[in-house]
Amino acid sequence: MMDQFEKALYIARKDIRVYYLKAPNLTYGLLMPLALYLAFGVSGNLATTTLISGLVSLVVLFGSTSIEAVAVVSERTTGTFERLLTAPVTLRWILLGKALGGSAFGPVLAILALGTVTLLSGANVAGPIAVLVAVAVSSFAFACLGILASAYSKWIPEAQMYSNFLRFPMAFLGGAFIPVESMPEALRLFSRFLPLTYSIEALREAMAKSMPTETYLLDLLVLAAFSAACLLWGERVLKKRLG
Amino acid sequence: MDKAILVKSLVKRFGALSALNGVTFSVTKGCVFGLLGPNGAGKTTTIRILTGLTHPDSGQATVLGFNMAEENLQAKARIGVVPEVSNNYEEMTALENLVFSGELYGVSRTERRGRAVELLEEFNLADRAGDTVLGLSRGMKRRLTIACALMHRPELLFLDEPTTGLDVQSAHQLRDEVRRLNKEGVTILLTTHYLEEADQLCDTVGMINKGVIVALDSPERLKASVTGDRVVEVSFSAPIHDRELELLLGVVEVHRLGDKYRITFSGEVEPVSDLVDYARGRGLRIAMLDTLKPSLEDAFLKITGTAPDEVRREKEQQKQRRMDA
Repeated sequence: MMDQFEKALYIARKDIRVYYLKAPNLTYGLLMPLALYLAFGVSGNLATTTLISGLVSLVVLFGSTSIEAVAVVSERTTGTFERLLTAPVTLRWILLGKALGGSAFGPVLAILALGTVTLLSGANVAGPIAVLVAVAVSSFAFACLGILASAYSKWIPEAQMYSNFLRFPMAFLGGAFIPVESMPEALRLFSRFLPLTYSIEALREAMAKSMPTETYLLDLLVLAAFSAACLLWGERVLKKRLG
Repeated sequence: MDKAILVKSLVKRFGALSALNGVTFSVTKGCVFGLLGPNGAGKTTTIRILTGLTHPDSGQATVLGFNMAEENLQAKARIGVVPEVSNNYEEMTALENLVFSGELYGVSRTERRGRAVELLEEFNLADRAGDTVLGLSRGMKRRLTIACALMHRPELLFLDEPTTGLDVQSAHQLRDEVRRLNKEGVTILLTTHYLEEADQLCDTVGMINKGVIVALDSPERLKASVTGDRVVEVSFSAPIHDRELELLLGVVEVHRLGDKYRITFSGEVEPVSDLVDYARGRGLRIAMLDTLKPSLEDAFLKITGTAPDEVRREKEQQKQRRMDA
């Protein structure tokens, strides 16, 4: 198992080297959430912590899913994915490596966004380590979501379409622009099925309280379970597609 | 166990299409085995099963003693795979690609770089070690793909169409590499459209058609099995009329190639003695006489009843050249 984990880490490092500076990742990872936020978030009457946790979660969501849409599908179209598949490493560990590689991108962008916004707004981050942990767990969850989207896709545009199909409704219903508490009952219930809701909630808790709360821990647990489900589902879909 | 590959009754279907219909063959350790067949015959599906990329619907594939259905990781650690299309990471350098292969195959940290440099030199890529793959020529990319597959010193190497699309010089270099690797003890399974290449490289050839192995033997024995028309090239000391040759017993066709004639006789006659008699009768001396043996291509055409694209193209070109002549 350690041998497989080590190979997953090599795959993650290779992905960081190969895919991080691709144009779609930079546009979707940083510019898109920023544009969304300037359009919908800043104009609302949101508390600063809600505003910052929303923006940071969006950056993580768009950054991590974008990487995976490119990293898995482009490898399948260029044939390099087969290079991984013919190596002595299982598909599950390959996907885990890819998710790890993709999830390292989100935190970099998130820290950039968080640093800039807290500096400009003068907001206080009560639990910086808890914030970083929440960003890392969210990033991994969204990278796994990207893997699931790409497992169903043959081409990069198709993967981006599926990703957007998941990302945009999530951005509006996950509490990034409108607090979940102020949503109608049905939407509030629906938002509980969205990983972004838990990411924003965990970040808001970490920013407001110096010690991890029960809600924060539960949010991380839900995100971890969501990651595992996406990864296993993606593995199943890819296995079927690969014959 | 002296078998590197043991394949038993492989069946694979893609929806209504039956890609493999009970493929059975074995490859002896240390040999070069060629898997030949027309497009869509089942070569790639067979290789995909043997390299663990896909599973058969039924049947069994054993690679280096490991059952591919249950122990494919152990087998994968000991095989090298070179697909038809070079699969290097174009954003990474040649050296980085090799090192990454070493990492995937568990080559020790201390050995990785040294082995990569050794392979770069072996494959004439040392001066391009630091260049990204994007800037390499097709031949260099091909050589790098093979080098990557050799990072962990595999016992068995799968080469899918290794020289397709390469210029003559690169193809020649690659064939030399295959011979050298085999000499070092690496068992090789290759697929190729170039039958001449298979003839030059392979100890054993398996011909696959419509998902079934239709012939399995050494190239020489396969060629010897081709009976039927016999082709003779002959040149006489003085010019003669084509028509006279056409009237000889059993002549199917006559082609004039410069100052010589390529004559096809039906299998029942003995062409050499007939030609000698013909020359004597007209007071001519035979300047050159050569009986052409059936080629692997002839065997392939006879066994499969189909020609791969390249063979078909080559035949058309030959026909055109004859007509031009």
